[in-house]
Amino acid sequence: MQAVISFKESGGRATLDPRTSILSIFVISMVMIGGGLSGVEYWLRLFCCLIPFVFLVTVHNYQFAAIYLGLYLFSAVIEGAVIQLTSGGWNLLFVIVAGIISRFLAPMVMGYCVMQSTTVSEFVTAMERIHVPQVITIPLSVMFRFFPTISEENKAVSEAMRMRQISGKKQSLIKKMEYELVPVMMSTVRIADELSQASLTKGLGGDIKRTHICEVGLRIRDYVLMLFLLVVTVLFVVY
Amino acid sequence: MIMIEIKNVTFSYRVTDTVGNPVLRTGVSGLNLTIRDGEFIVLTGSSGCGKTTVCRLINGLIPHYFDGEKSGEVLLNGRDISAQPIYETAQTVGSVFQNPRSQFFNVDTTSELAFFAENQGRAPEKIRSDIQEISDKMELSELLGRSMFKLSGGEKQKIACGTIAVADSSVIVLDEPSSNLDTNAIEDLRKVLAMWKEQGKTVVIAEHRLYFLRELADRVILFESGEIKKEIAGKEFRELSADATKELGLRTVQSHSASAFKEWKETMEYFTLTNFRFSYPDKVHGIDISSLTLPKNKIIAIVGHNGAGKSTLARTFCGLHKKAKGTVKLGDKTVPVTKMLDYCYMIMQDVNHQLFTESVQEEVLLSVSESLPETEREQIARNALEMLDIEKYAEMHPMALSGGQKQRVAIASGIAADKEFILMDEPTSGLDYVHMKQVAGVMEMLKEQGKTLLVITHDDELISCCADYILYLEKGSVKHSGPVDIRYDGV
Repeated sequence: MQAVISFKESGGRATLDPRTSILSIFVISMVMIGGGLSGVEYWLRLFCCLIPFVFLVTVHNYQFAAIYLGLYLFSAVIEGAVIQLTSGGWNLLFVIVAGIISRFLAPMVMGYCVMQSTTVSEFVTAMERIHVPQVITIPLSVMFRFFPTISEENKAVSEAMRMRQISGKKQSLIKKMEYELVPVMMSTVRIADELSQASLTKGLGGDIKRTHICEVGLRIRDYVLMLFLLVVTVLFVVY
Repeated sequence: MIMIEIKNVTFSYRVTDTVGNPVLRTGVSGLNLTIRDGEFIVLTGSSGCGKTTVCRLINGLIPHYFDGEKSGEVLLNGRDISAQPIYETAQTVGSVFQNPRSQFFNVDTTSELAFFAENQGRAPEKIRSDIQEISDKMELSELLGRSMFKLSGGEKQKIACGTIAVADSSVIVLDEPSSNLDTNAIEDLRKVLAMWKEQGKTVVIAEHRLYFLRELADRVILFESGEIKKEIAGKEFRELSADATKELGLRTVQSHSASAFKEWKETMEYFTLTNFRFSYPDKVHGIDISSLTLPKNKIIAIVGHNGAGKSTLARTFCGLHKKAKGTVKLGDKTVPVTKMLDYCYMIMQDVNHQLFTESVQEEVLLSVSESLPETEREQIARNALEMLDIEKYAEMHPMALSGGQKQRVAIASGIAADKEFILMDEPTSGLDYVHMKQVAGVMEMLKEQGKTLLVITHDDELISCCADYILYLEKGSVKHSGPVDIRYDGV
């Protein structure tokens, strides 16, 4: 289940307030994807790619932190040196690979960290605080609640395919993909339907003001990070 | 005081038939039912008899979620349910559903317990202290703060009941809550129901399995084709004999009714499992069987509690666990488990996972060996369809069939695949008496065809009507195995 993107499954309060988390995903994406490789922007990007690293270390996910650091060092070496030493097709390949890693890895990892440390109810509550309507938050939270379900269904169907020895059959690849996808879709649709019924009978989506037992609120760490993110945004826009 | 009053209600679902035309399917017709405050009502009857429709009428899913034509009215505390939104009804009525996997909104257990009460706008401190109190009472403490996805079906169902208990609903509607549960989990469910009854809650439960409701029911209502066929008072219900329930087409009321077993007929052929080992990453669950000899061409029931290793054994036997070790001695051949897929076919608990194609015919054809000439393949497929009496559905999409028909399609594919062993995972969970007997009939027929059946089951009635041999697992090892007539005590 580790590889599946979903909300936090257990444990205590989120490391960061969901609002800070979402702001940081936006800022990191903006700087990492849109920023240049020299001058002030170089330092801003360096700062932004360190945020997910620090996050991973604070939640004790050292293995992932090490892989993350390794990938960034790798892309830094390529962007800093290898590109100057090569030319032609190889050069193009290196530029593409290093570019994808250095521009997209940080926002993706930050998104992963946020999901892994936030529960559904913390997310819904924080969204309510900034007056995002339920029409947006409920589908969003259901969507992420659903990824592990899809993965469970997919596992069951691929097992059935193995049992029926489909891979040995003279069927086209497209046909085999269809065999896998259709049952997965059918059963996720059914689960979604049953989930809506269960949620409705538990009073979701009513006019009554929801309360919440989770603690959501900005703490010093949130203010500090927000301040940094603000500075980064200002510098990024100015330069 | 009257809590729920169903007055002359007729409801038909608006559904599409197999060719896509809109049709009406009767849910209930001309139903009158009055439920007093604090009553414990059991709704029973075969599949599609209307008991689920009654649950939906009470929690407001009809008419607010399900589309159809309705007449008459349902009053809850004197107020018309169709005139108020579902979340108003939800202030009074809490619902537990059949499928444990699809009724939780949150990913972690604690948030899920609070969810219903949060939606009602209760004060957070009150909810927190209620969660503490409820989890002490219902023995949920060790489930708090965990991932919903890592709980067993029984544990999920316990959380679902906990959510209702925290919200303190005064009416509780349960739609076949025991379908996917084993004996231990049903006992937990029974305790929760007893607690609610003691607290004076109004409980309405639709069920096939009746034995655990014996001491709880104030009234049992038997449905047939959308109408009330018979009302049985609690006292009378407790004393129903096995013959009387059979007569009514119901599951047994007595917990140890299974007395008559099949007579054991000695067999000449056996197969032997050697050094079956598999352990899950948690190091607690898995199987460890050094040697186990079982009879061929018999119906072997695999029993034991959740987590005892029944599924693991079955899946290892089939060769589905890539990392599992072991061999199977079949006559003079010794086959490693990794090659057992060539000999086994498994009917999964959720058959939806194993039906892939666009028509029943194609589904069965897919299983037939491709090395045979085309005409012969078609003949084999046709035979399999006829054997299960589903040739009339040959052109239909498997997903358009009912649950029982789908199961037959899966079994027909198994026959067409011409495998020696047929494994079944809980083939009768959630089935009424008549359908359970049908499945038992199909199993007997497979045996006559020379197949060996390994059946994982919690269903005592199924065991007593068709199993020849029993294999009782505990903590991954064999606790007992032998002919079913000297059945191990206390399974």
